[in-house]
Amino acid sequence: MASSTAPRNPTTPSLSLPPSQFARLQPHAYLLAHLSPPPASNQPSIRANGRATSQFRVTSANAGSLTHTNGSAVVRIGDTAAVCGVRAEILHTNDIASWSVLQASSEQNFDKSNEVGESKSQDEEDRGHIQDLNLLVPNLSLSTGCAPGFTPGAPPSALAQSLSHQLLSLLHTTRLVRADDLRIWYQPPNLDSEEFRSAGEGMDVDTEQSGPEREVKAFWVLYIDVMIISLAGNPFDAAWASVLAALRDTKLPKAWWDADNETILCSDDVADARKFSFCSFEGDAAAGWRAVVIPDAEEQKQKKGAQQRWILADPDGYEEGLSQERASVVVDKENGKTVIVKIEKHGGWAVDSDDLRQLVDVSAQRWDEMKRILDQC
Amino acid sequence: MADRRRINGPPGGTRPPVFASLQESSTGVATRVQRQRQPTELRKIFLKTGLIPTASGSSYLEFEPSASLAAARSNPKSLIPPSSALKLACTVHGPKPLPRSAAFSPNLVLTTHVKYAPFAARKRKGHIRDASERDLGVHLETALRGAIIAERWPKSGLDITLTIIEAEDDRWWGDAPDSHDASWGMMNVLAGCITAASAAIADAHIDCLDLVSGGVAALVSDDSNQSATSAPRLMLDIDPAEHRSILSACVVAYMPARDEITELWLKGDSSRAALGKDDGRTGHEALIDGAVDAARGANTVLAEAVRESIARSFA
Repeated sequence: MASSTAPRNPTTPSLSLPPSQFARLQPHAYLLAHLSPPPASNQPSIRANGRATSQFRVTSANAGSLTHTNGSAVVRIGDTAAVCGVRAEILHTNDIASWSVLQASSEQNFDKSNEVGESKSQDEEDRGHIQDLNLLVPNLSLSTGCAPGFTPGAPPSALAQSLSHQLLSLLHTTRLVRADDLRIWYQPPNLDSEEFRSAGEGMDVDTEQSGPEREVKAFWVLYIDVMIISLAGNPFDAAWASVLAALRDTKLPKAWWDADNETILCSDDVADARKFSFCSFEGDAAAGWRAVVIPDAEEQKQKKGAQQRWILADPDGYEEGLSQERASVVVDKENGKTVIVKIEKHGGWAVDSDDLRQLVDVSAQRWDEMKRILDQC
Repeated sequence: MADRRRINGPPGGTRPPVFASLQESSTGVATRVQRQRQPTELRKIFLKTGLIPTASGSSYLEFEPSASLAAARSNPKSLIPPSSALKLACTVHGPKPLPRSAAFSPNLVLTTHVKYAPFAARKRKGHIRDASERDLGVHLETALRGAIIAERWPKSGLDITLTIIEAEDDRWWGDAPDSHDASWGMMNVLAGCITAASAAIADAHIDCLDLVSGGVAALVSDDSNQSATSAPRLMLDIDPAEHRSILSACVVAYMPARDEITELWLKGDSSRAALGKDDGRTGHEALIDGAVDAARGANTVLAEAVRESIARSFA
């Protein structure tokens, strides 16, 4: 950097700036100079923070350190830190306004499902229950003083709102939590058969009638709160990783309907509590990652004629501020095959299939890495 | 009306789980937790500065978990935690110019903001600050204002934000709310906030008269029999979950080099303290002295954390 700003006239005092000041004064040129080294030097392009273009920051995760939660996790990606706590509360079916309607429609579905593929419609019903009843409630808070731009105490910023909704939609589309894990069932006692039995054994009642059917009495509602403690770029990755780690750590107590008190009671025994059985995903982890594409400066475009651009994985705050195009890919692996869960891209130009393949390949590598980190914590 | 800027739960509302063991007789698994420390022994404090690089100053503070909590963590039996330990993060942004609309101020304008995470306490907290959180913010501001040399930054503002990730309980979880019960946990939280904020301010290189640290002392009576002979005893750095009844408690923000108190908060009845025979102090004097002793203890940790922060910035 110093050479480019060196004075031509030797009599004037040297005007060389330290790199940190140059980065502030001319952020775009600074980043560009790093990304496009002179062709003579034959060096690969490197980012201002010393990482290669598809290199992620050091990631660490730690689960189960908070006392008042059912499951919790702290995830640090470089200097970005997210704390996630999952609290489970109970939603009685009496408190659901449209419960009888919902139940009737689900019964209809169940009848249909005997004819068509059963598992598929069961899946649909699961999804409907979780979505219609708002059983998963993720909220992300940025007003923790994590970055200078967010005033604490103000209503959630646009970024916080959009991140919360991204988490919610991703939780729904990945179907990470099954509705079956959240249901609290009740099997009413079979009073009829008891009467028969007391009347006499000579009657020999057929056991084809199994008495009243078991019914859902309540649901667990998971409040998933993410606090971004430190924000240095890429908040979505940190938040999603912390949600995953916290959900893997979550233990729900054993709960049952107490007919005498007409409430749900829980057992506080750890041995009775159960973790989620994560469905459909072999590794039960979907790794998200985010790339920014830094477009070339306008002047250079005119010189070369063709636009040059770089895809930077896991951008820090400095790079995020300079990018005009952002892409986010969430993938999962099922039996060794990579499944794309979500692709999101904002701004910029078209992405051709080669770029897309590159994005997905890097995501697949990231998935392996994230799985290793989450398994360790 | 529902808050449309956040994701709300079911409109009918949800209920926290009720554990069956609480409804049965008192012979359940629940055993009351006991204080394992000496009356003048403080808990260990973990304090680290500079964890949040985007802020001009930051710190993270954690209290050592009590013996019962450590045992419950290493060998979990019940889902109900016996007690909890304070964990909080503090950030300082500034000094920065005041917004154009603000009136002229010859001094540094201090803004403090204390917020509990929704999962911080035994009962779920809302997203909007409640009265107790505002109260903590005001107390913290008083404590810090006395320490900061505000004349050196005219027309500028300083934002101090504290996020409580895990708070202390007000009482043992098995006890029913009592008549002479107050939010004792808040006092511990305030002491932690003062120490952490002081470290973060030093990390931001803001000129202060001295490092101000917080300390708590309380008068507690732990005897199970309600006889009048058992006089309350003075304890430093209480964990409210470990005591049967707390009669009064006191938080100070204290600057040891100048021997000054910038904030004093005393709650409850301190008239029945059992002091030594030749001790001429009244109950509340003893209580304040105890809190100052606790603050002195916290100050040694604070000084070490600030030394680390300085070493890092000049490395």
